[in-house]
Amino acid sequence: MIAELPPGLILIVGALLIPLLRPHLRPYLMLALPVAALVQLLTLPAGLHAQVDILGHSLVFLRIDGLSFVFGLIFLIAAVLNVIYGWHEDDPVQQVSGLVYAGAAVGAVFVGDLVSLFVFWELTAIASVFLIWASRTERAYRAGMRYLLVQIGSGVILLAGVILHYRATGSIAFDRLELTGLPTALILFAFGIKCAFPLLHNWLQDAYPEATVVGTVILSAFTTKLAAYALARSFAGTDMLIWIGAIMAVFPIVYAVIENDLRRVMAYILNNQLGFMVVGVGIGTPLALNGVAALAFCGILYKALLFMCLGAVLFRAGSARASDLGGLWKSMPWTTGFCIVGGASISAVPLFAGFIAKSMVLAAVAEGGHWIVWLVLLAASAGVFHQTGLRIPYAAFFARNPEIRCREAPLNMLAAMGITSLLCIAIGVYPAMLYAVLPYQVDFAVYTASHVVTQLQLLAFAALAFSILLRHRVYPQDVPSINLDSDWIYRRLLPAFVDVYRDGLRMMRFRAIARAQVRLNRFIAAVYRHHGPQGVLARTWPVGSTVLWVAVLLCVTLVFYYIE
Amino acid sequence: MIAYHLPILQIVVPLIAAPLSAFCRRAGMAWYLALIICAASFAISVALLVRVLDEGHISYLLGNWAAPWGIEYRIDAVNAFVLLIISGMGTMVLPYARVSIADEIEPHNQALFYTCYLLCFAGLLGMVITGDAFNAFVFMEISSLATYVLVALGAKRDRRALSAAFTYLVMGTIGATFFVIGIGLVYMVTGTLNMADLAARLQGLEQNRTALVAFAFIVTGIGLKLALFPMHLWLPNAYAFAPSAVTVFIAATATKAAVYLMLRFLFTVFGTDYNVLGLTLTYMFTPLALAAMFAASTVAIFQFEIKRMLAYSSVAQLGYTVLGISFASVTGLTATMIHLFNHALMKGALFMAVGAIVLRHGAATIDSVRGLGRTMPWTMAAFVAGGLSLIGVPLTVGFISKWYLVAASLESGRWPIAVLIVLSSLIGVIYIWRVIEAAYLEKPPEGRTAREAPLSMLIPTWGLVGANIYFGIDAELTSRVAGAAARLLLWVAP
Amino acid sequence: MTDDRHKTPWIERKGNLTWIHRGLWIACAGLALADFFYHKHTVFRIEEFPAFYGLLGFIACVGLVFGAREIRKILKRGENYYDR
Repeated sequence: MIAELPPGLILIVGALLIPLLRPHLRPYLMLALPVAALVQLLTLPAGLHAQVDILGHSLVFLRIDGLSFVFGLIFLIAAVLNVIYGWHEDDPVQQVSGLVYAGAAVGAVFVGDLVSLFVFWELTAIASVFLIWASRTERAYRAGMRYLLVQIGSGVILLAGVILHYRATGSIAFDRLELTGLPTALILFAFGIKCAFPLLHNWLQDAYPEATVVGTVILSAFTTKLAAYALARSFAGTDMLIWIGAIMAVFPIVYAVIENDLRRVMAYILNNQLGFMVVGVGIGTPLALNGVAALAFCGILYKALLFMCLGAVLFRAGSARASDLGGLWKSMPWTTGFCIVGGASISAVPLFAGFIAKSMVLAAVAEGGHWIVWLVLLAASAGVFHQTGLRIPYAAFFARNPEIRCREAPLNMLAAMGITSLLCIAIGVYPAMLYAVLPYQVDFAVYTASHVVTQLQLLAFAALAFSILLRHRVYPQDVPSINLDSDWIYRRLLPAFVDVYRDGLRMMRFRAIARAQVRLNRFIAAVYRHHGPQGVLARTWPVGSTVLWVAVLLCVTLVFYYIE
Repeated sequence: MIAYHLPILQIVVPLIAAPLSAFCRRAGMAWYLALIICAASFAISVALLVRVLDEGHISYLLGNWAAPWGIEYRIDAVNAFVLLIISGMGTMVLPYARVSIADEIEPHNQALFYTCYLLCFAGLLGMVITGDAFNAFVFMEISSLATYVLVALGAKRDRRALSAAFTYLVMGTIGATFFVIGIGLVYMVTGTLNMADLAARLQGLEQNRTALVAFAFIVTGIGLKLALFPMHLWLPNAYAFAPSAVTVFIAATATKAAVYLMLRFLFTVFGTDYNVLGLTLTYMFTPLALAAMFAASTVAIFQFEIKRMLAYSSVAQLGYTVLGISFASVTGLTATMIHLFNHALMKGALFMAVGAIVLRHGAATIDSVRGLGRTMPWTMAAFVAGGLSLIGVPLTVGFISKWYLVAASLESGRWPIAVLIVLSSLIGVIYIWRVIEAAYLEKPPEGRTAREAPLSMLIPTWGLVGANIYFGIDAELTSRVAGAAARLLLWVAP
Repeated sequence: MTDDRHKTPWIERKGNLTWIHRGLWIACAGLALADFFYHKHTVFRIEEFPAFYGLLGFIACVGLVFGAREIRKILKRGENYYDR
């Protein structure tokens, strides 16, 4: 039985023990947990384990195959890195919720049925919201509330879909689903919310930047990648996703350009990276799915790395807004270097992690003959380079003013960033290491002259464009502001409607009462004139009117029966 | 031997214990006695339900007088289920009541409170268990008189409880009088008071004018008792000003017993052969139920006091119950029966949470819950869970009720009603959200000392919340019993 | 304190930025020319256009920035927009 212990459970149960320990011992336990889970994962053989029969249905808590293995592996690696990054943090709320959240995500990856998936799905939502609330500001509290509502909503929709699906087919297996009717459409919708599909995306940009320094790094790894995994598992090859993904890959970059908060810029870029994965899922060929898995694997690393760098900047300089930052490379040289590694990885510079993954997705798209989508994705990757490879390092570390002086990031943060950077470079240099754990046999040569030169060309010209725009001061200035996004619908439009409805009803009610009162008062005053002291009239009129109603009802029914 | 006498023990035990508790000098002793008695009652009703599900109906003749002449207690799936609801809620409330009652009622009245509580408890059980129409009236009076006193005991906290109790007394008496007039008229026509016998003898009297008038009186009388819109005006004040524990108890049980009587008379005694039954259901119950769902919910939005708000919500929920009756189909009555149970759970949990707020802050208004999400997290979380159930979110019992109601309306081909059911749930979202918004998104007023409610209140509250979720996920048991009850009422073979 | 040239880091010295800029031009030109010296593995016809990838990257970035400038005019609000 112990041999079949799901790795996610190790994290969840272990996390609950953390508050019992003394503060200085906690980080050691926190590090031990994901490491133990990793060991457990590596010793488990492929196949179905930990099955429980409830009410005639078999719940599978542990299904290990190619796809779940690679996602579980990277989730656990991310959990280890997060613990190192948050070593200095002495906040039990974040410590427990961060690990429970990671455990829930790992748990969700390994389940084999939709009911257990729902349970972990909701658990990721509930556990993660504390990472946002842990900022302990009013803003974060409200953003967390909105985040929670959206996430729980996704779970409820998932459940509704699962129930309907079960009624229609009698199966609760978490496997390939055909998009044929309402049940599977609901399930896809629930996945889509968590995967930040266009118009369903805004919870991400709304909430992630409000979390704590450590919290944002943790958040960036799990929720959306879990959704990408679920999509790859259930909806691989659904054509609709190709187009959804293409839109997702483009429009967030536009928002990123005009966003001032760099952590929010990263949230938009994260959204764009998900677009690449969704396109890959939509293509659905083995090459594409390998690309999705590889992109998720590398993506978790380099996005965590970038969030870590920005977190370190926020931690030391007190702000992560482009308009407040500049010149940090002198104060934080290591962080600067790691940020550039992260930027190079996400922009798919050859010899860095992103290159070997993104090439696979692009090749799969080209193989499928979707030339418009292919062009869009190419343009989007130029845009990503422009934002994360150039703008973020420039704005935070090299811009002239204001010049900020502060200390280099703490040692544990540097260690976490360093390890992550090493991983990014190692994977970029020896892709075979990652290709060995991908779900399908890899038959793809990434370092060909064609791939390398064309990619370098794309990047060099994008850099040139950035440089020209900057020199001619065409580039939009970084000023404190926010930009309207789809959250406007539920933060402004809907409340306005509710207010109108409420005010309207209130007016109608006041008028109706005023009118009715005049008449009633006359009637009642006549009937109850002798019934005593002040206030009694107001209290007794319900009796009178109810009796009236009783009489009316009785008469009506009697007359009714009489006619009948 | 004891097993044979269980039906009478169900009534006699609390009825005898009531005067005994009046002799207790200390409230603690009375409370203890009441708790034991109610728990025993609950055990009895569980045993009865198990037996009924096994063997079909149980007929118990009081003093061995043969049926149409003597009083018969007749238990089948319908009333065994309602007995379970009443005794279960009655037992759940007591552990909760001790602290709350000690706070809200003057010390010299506290022992008497438990006397009245037991009387009311026994009366409600009697109303449900008996197979004799006049006996039902007697028990209805016992429970009602006790309830008036219970409501009036809220006067320590708010003097308006007295006038609320008075209003309730007037209205309740009118209802009971109508009911007894109806029974008198039926007796005139048939010469019997036993319900089964009445049902047999009323066959063929479909055109009898006296029987029709009796029908009208009975329906109106019980309608008043179950707060059928627009005869609900006594309810909000009674619920709002009664002591918190009483509110929980009567909200979860009193109207349920009345609904049971309504079902019994409509379907068992008069039966679907009566044309007027169909007419009443279609032209009276359906529109009134829909009006209740919307009007009462809308009123609830504007309420400032949370107890009052929930009271109006109860009127709306009774609308759902009556709507289920108005379909006169197996699914519709299943919806009604299951909603009786589910509504007891959700309103029980909500009123308990509100009672805890009253205990700590003296009142439960939208103002006084500001910021409570942080200072009374468990209480407010229970409120939120109950609220979600009230709205009908999946995985709660509220969802199960709505599910059956929508299914019933679709089955009868009246899909606009299904749409209205969903729409009216959305109004529920608004008034629950007002409380959540105040509790979680607003800051507490300055200088308020806040403590979480005592465990003795939290545990029963969370017990009910747990039941809300448990029966929301696993509705197998409740829907089976409710379905069996519905088929019995409609004389459909299982 | 004595010698200002040692205080100012290389990257912040006037003129060096211009050199970086010129270096980019040269690198781009070199990469564009490289297109003629190897076998480009293509799937679509359009890829065979000389320096296609470079031009696409350039146009995408310029288009992105100009597009974003226009969109910003519509979407931009004060930082406390939602808190009002």
